[in-house]
Amino acid sequence: MRTFAAGYRLQFRVIRSDPDYLMPLATIPLFAVVFLAIVRHAGRDDLTEYALLAPVLIALWQLSLTVAGEIIADDRWQGTLEPAIAAPASFPTLVVGRVLAVTSVALVAFVEVWAVGAGLFGVSVEFHHPVAFVLAVGATALAMSGTALIMAALFVVTRSARTFQNSLSYPFYVLGGILVPVSFLPEWVQPASSAVFLSWSADLLRDSLAPAAVDNLAYRLAMVVVLGAAGFAVGRLTLERILRRVRRTGEVGLA
Amino acid sequence: MTTLRVLRHAAACGFSDYATIYTWKTWLAGWYVRVLAQVAFFALIGKLLDSQARVEYLLIGNAVMLAAVGGLFAVAGTTWERRAGTLPLHVASPSSPVVVFTGRSAWGLTEGVLSSAGTFFVAAPLFGLELALRSLLVLPLLVLVASSSYALGIFLGGLVLRAMSTRNVVANVVSATMMAICGVNVPVEFFPEPIQWVGQALPLTHGLHAIRDVLGGGSAASIIVNAALELLVGLVWLGLALVTFNRLAEGGRRSGAIEFAA
Repeated sequence: MRTFAAGYRLQFRVIRSDPDYLMPLATIPLFAVVFLAIVRHAGRDDLTEYALLAPVLIALWQLSLTVAGEIIADDRWQGTLEPAIAAPASFPTLVVGRVLAVTSVALVAFVEVWAVGAGLFGVSVEFHHPVAFVLAVGATALAMSGTALIMAALFVVTRSARTFQNSLSYPFYVLGGILVPVSFLPEWVQPASSAVFLSWSADLLRDSLAPAAVDNLAYRLAMVVVLGAAGFAVGRLTLERILRRVRRTGEVGLA
Repeated sequence: MTTLRVLRHAAACGFSDYATIYTWKTWLAGWYVRVLAQVAFFALIGKLLDSQARVEYLLIGNAVMLAAVGGLFAVAGTTWERRAGTLPLHVASPSSPVVVFTGRSAWGLTEGVLSSAGTFFVAAPLFGLELALRSLLVLPLLVLVASSSYALGIFLGGLVLRAMSTRNVVANVVSATMMAICGVNVPVEFFPEPIQWVGQALPLTHGLHAIRDVLGGGSAASIIVNAALELLVGLVWLGLALVTFNRLAEGGRRSGAIEFAA
């Protein structure tokens, strides 16, 4: 637990020192403006919650995958990976703490988006199912961290992961139905969407803001958690295997 | 003549850099899939709104936006050169640094036009947008949009040379602002008048208007006027870049901090 907390605190200090870490938070209010303008201009005020949730999910996704995903690769470039691995504390636990710190920062996007909605568009969001909403946000943040751990491991093992880093945004925004529900996608795409935790998260978050009762809350929450846990498991296993390999081959510091 | 040679060599350097990131296969499987998904994401919002007109509006706007994004790669591109430690040499050489930096990110122009045209002509039929022969006129207009955005990118690139860690934030905030107020997703007139004026001064707004005219059967006069306005906006940003860039690039010579920028 101390290792986890140390990683969490360290990452906050790193974030404060580099504006790049906060870039998604700088652009998210503008995404909120874009989405709210689209639904307002179309006269579809009923889709306001959709327009508000999408930028939050974008912020979570961007920070988790692009920023948290680079944690280990950055350590490697700075030459701090070797002492971190050599220390008696569990390295994967440290990384999980750091990843979760990034995900926590991403939650600031909620405040930003709500401020844009209220300040520029006069929108006030009613939380019809606050418990479901909070649970969905928590499960989503955990699942994001799990996915980020996979990326953190992949960035170490392959240089080409960086090439595809930019490609992990919009394809997943479409598949995850972060603004347009998956039911609007072609039928042949929909099975792939159900394997993406974002699609469960986005639907659940939207339903928790709607007046109608939230159907199958436990099952849907469980799906987000299970997919997130699978991410954690795969990420941790991959990381441990990679660490064993680079220790054996002497490539710990070779990016 | 020398200027052209410097531009050519600088562009060749930039393309070589870019080739270390993408091969044509990874570009297609990575970047192209991403930009196609980006356009599809916005076109699908039109479907959510249950309006084919909005599907087409969003598709066109966001496909053309990609040309501007390519131009704005120049913001980050200028800092690559600085990170390579070559800025003191550029400042000391008889050639102007702005010429080098203008050529250095030319790959962004190419990528912007390719991404934009490549997604537009693929996504349009997928989302039921019928294309007449005159839609080929979009191509030179995309080059114009990418070029005017590139001029803005060079200007901003000069600004971030003194604070390189802000390069991605600046590029992305400007890009997202253009996406919001330049008529990409909603007409410029949706926003209050002061914001409309900002939109008119940015690249993309007039070029996109011209492209919508081409695709929507607008008059030749309207297309020409908007294309000319896009060109004018680009030239103004290029002029600003030429006036300010060298001063900013050379700013560290007097203080001795030319190699030191975070």
